Amino acid sequence: MEIKGWLRAALEGLRRAGAEYADARFLDCATESITVRNEQVAALSRDRDRGFGIRVLYRGSWGFAASAELAEPEVEAIAERALEIAKASRLTQRRPVRLDDSPPYVDTYRTEFELDPFIVPLDKKLELLFSALKVLRRDPRVRLAEGTMRFFKTYKLFLSSDGAEIAQEFLESGAGIQATAIQDGEVQRRSYPNSFGGNFAARGYEFVESLKLVENAERVREEALALLSADPCPAGKTDLILDSSQLGLQIHESCGHPSELDRALGMEISYAGGSFLTVDKLRKFRYGSRLVNIYADATLPGSIGSFGYDDEGVRAQRFPIVEEGLFVGYLTSRETAPILGKRSGGAMRAASWSHIPLIRMVNINLEPGEEDLSLEDLIADTKDGIFMATNKSWSIDDLRLNFQFGCELAWEIKHGKRTRLLKNPLYTGITPQFWGSCDAICGRKEWKLWGLPNCGKGEPPQLMHVAHGAAPARFRGIEVGAPRG
Amino acid sequence: MIGRERILEGLERLLKRLPGEQFELVYTGGRSDLTRYTRSEIHQNVSVENMRVYIRAALGKRLGVVTVNTLEEGPLLQAAKQAVELAQRQPENPYFEGFPSPAEYEPTTTYFEATAKFTPKQRAEVVKKVFAEAERLGFEVSGAFSTSTGEIAVLNSNGLEAYQPLTGVEISLVPVSQEGMGYADAFAHDVEKIDLEAVAARALERCSLNKGQQDIPLGQYDVILEPGCLAEVMRWLNLIAFRAQAFIEGTSFLAGKLGERAMGENITIYDSIHEPEAQGLPFDFQGCPKRKVTLIERGINRGVVFDLMSARQAKAEPTGHAGPPDSPYGPMPWNICMEAGDSSLEEMVASCEKGLLVTRFHYLNGFLDPKRAMMTGMTRYGTFLVEEGKIKHAVKNLRWTESMLRAFSNVRAISRKREVFSYGGAAGFAIAPAVYIEGFTFTGVQEEGAVGQ
Repeated sequence: MEIKGWLRAALEGLRRAGAEYADARFLDCATESITVRNEQVAALSRDRDRGFGIRVLYRGSWGFAASAELAEPEVEAIAERALEIAKASRLTQRRPVRLDDSPPYVDTYRTEFELDPFIVPLDKKLELLFSALKVLRRDPRVRLAEGTMRFFKTYKLFLSSDGAEIAQEFLESGAGIQATAIQDGEVQRRSYPNSFGGNFAARGYEFVESLKLVENAERVREEALALLSADPCPAGKTDLILDSSQLGLQIHESCGHPSELDRALGMEISYAGGSFLTVDKLRKFRYGSRLVNIYADATLPGSIGSFGYDDEGVRAQRFPIVEEGLFVGYLTSRETAPILGKRSGGAMRAASWSHIPLIRMVNINLEPGEEDLSLEDLIADTKDGIFMATNKSWSIDDLRLNFQFGCELAWEIKHGKRTRLLKNPLYTGITPQFWGSCDAICGRKEWKLWGLPNCGKGEPPQLMHVAHGAAPARFRGIEVGAPRG
Repeated sequence: MIGRERILEGLERLLKRLPGEQFELVYTGGRSDLTRYTRSEIHQNVSVENMRVYIRAALGKRLGVVTVNTLEEGPLLQAAKQAVELAQRQPENPYFEGFPSPAEYEPTTTYFEATAKFTPKQRAEVVKKVFAEAERLGFEVSGAFSTSTGEIAVLNSNGLEAYQPLTGVEISLVPVSQEGMGYADAFAHDVEKIDLEAVAARALERCSLNKGQQDIPLGQYDVILEPGCLAEVMRWLNLIAFRAQAFIEGTSFLAGKLGERAMGENITIYDSIHEPEAQGLPFDFQGCPKRKVTLIERGINRGVVFDLMSARQAKAEPTGHAGPPDSPYGPMPWNICMEAGDSSLEEMVASCEKGLLVTRFHYLNGFLDPKRAMMTGMTRYGTFLVEEGKIKHAVKNLRWTESMLRAFSNVRAISRKREVFSYGGAAGFAIAPAVYIEGFTFTGVQEEGAVGQ
């Protein structure tokens, strides 16, 4: 491949020009997106995106430049521009950047899959989506039935001036359906398997088939219709049980983001904010109850939060963020880990060739609890509470403390039984208080992995593919309600 | 910059080599540079050259879209072939009536050489001066300073040809003290239009005020929202209410309620490319001329934005708001504006018996109950208690949960001065004034609280 030689030469040139470190990434990405609405194909597109980016560390300051033009003179020009930018950065330097001593690897990594979605005929994909939508639309009150599929295929080459050379190939698939029922000014929505595009995995088309969209469509439709006449979620403090998917987003916003060390160090203050998990809290701060164990795990097979190596060439790892309720670990990079006296935890990821890597979530998973505890057992064990499922809205403050989530559906629980369906449920809380009130987590049989392909961070904004594993859990004395105003 | 001739000639050449089907080609591309700083030091500094060519094939009423990021003929021809294959496998779209015909566009000025030529070194020198000013006050500064240069071109088999270059510059300054943060930002097409000293002064002043934050009881307060708060609210209104898809599907509060009152008489919201503060692209992603669209007029629901297909579906007039050909969201307002009033921020504060002055909103979400435009969010970068016409002290960041239909029915004053906010690039923006709203609902506070069990 010509580009490899050009990039290798550019890195050598940067070394000669005085850079202490440089790396280069070439990416070739294919995407297919399908959105069907009612009887129409609302959007169907294929995208091919190729390009390279060069990052250079010059006398302790960073520069980065990238281009889609795959030609040798352009590679040389972009390397020069990256160096020029690093020199400009140096004008304000206060503390020179120093990288850890992570070793350079020469290796390859590839997603395992059975069926390449890019060679599955389009007719077959559309037929699956339209079959599910046909079931959703059997009642005219379902005004909008929507189905989506998205597939990503990525080749990524990483080279560094330290001698790393890593080629990785990723394949990711996802799908979901959604019913929006409307009657008398009331709008209610149900989604499967998750809202905002469904679920995603680092697997082939077999993952889409395993979701059984058609088989679940009737239940989705009936729940959307039932919500039209449901009572609003009553306001007050009660015991709250969250389903696995909503808990995944709770982990994402209130544990994943605040444990990014760049955020904790203030590097994101001007955009999505900082973190209450400041460095002085490491190994001292009680984040949650003793049941709460949360791990970062980039090694999990089949997940869109997994990889062989991050975008600094650091090997994928598994390590605790919260252990028995104690905050014990950050997501780190080669630049930030030395501040804690450590090597990088391998969490530097870039959304494309045109972005710099930032500290990003991988798979951030809540460990399952009691081995045999099912969701139904947990409901049966709850005297007075609310069960909420599937995210509808989300908001959290700039330190990741005060959050408010809305869900698509809730059930009131009285004396261990689901008594009535509730619409527009919200719950709100403060992160450490909330996790401190966790008194039960279901077992491994209820544990599911949720792929989120749209985690936003950074300027210019980057969307990253991350995932969260969780089993349903119960939280005592949480403020719930419905939106008022 | 590739330039008008090279882009159009390249696309025309491609169009001539394509088979008999109808085609639409859209080119977007350019260079984006961004300098990011934290603790008065540049920590991220990037420059990206990229492009995207959208090829949409139409076989009768069947459409297929393929995008690539190259202008090389081989990959473009291959992409066009794929677009035809995708179209062949799709059901007919009954609302597609062919690509638009050539049109005349009202000229707008969106490109400025000074912005295009601004260098990484110049950006570093600008922020270095701000860092020095902040240091005198004991503050450190975070933020981002970006410049972009781009081009958009649309061609189709009917002979339509549209081209526009554009530049953008955006700066945000977040001074950070031991006790709190301040904020100010600015966006323009022309770097010379931005008064960087004024932006810095505003940010530093706000940071100086934002100290000793106190608790206040939750509940309803009169609020004075700075323009940035409104820009965020309008961004969400675009998504849940003012776009064709939400209107057609019935989830927008305007659906079935055109001509009815939704807000107070002093609220007018519209989409326009010709404003004194900024200008937008004169055509949409299909090359249709952009029309001014009144969305809310004196509180009455007037309309939403459409492209050709959604207008046909809704039996409405197209407005020239087509999005990128692969967008699942459909047409959106790109240049949303709220009409100015006759007040000022200072007059609003002076007239306030008891209320809160809010610098910015953070992390809004408008999916709570779109029919009532229910939203939640936090305050950020300085929230202040105002009593008897004076700022008394800073308060902690607060969560609010409110129907924006209710809030916009209770607006007591709107400022004469409006500010421009980028919607993620040089083409999309919001122009918003400051507003005084009576009885805004605050439902939570930012606090660490008691440590967990």
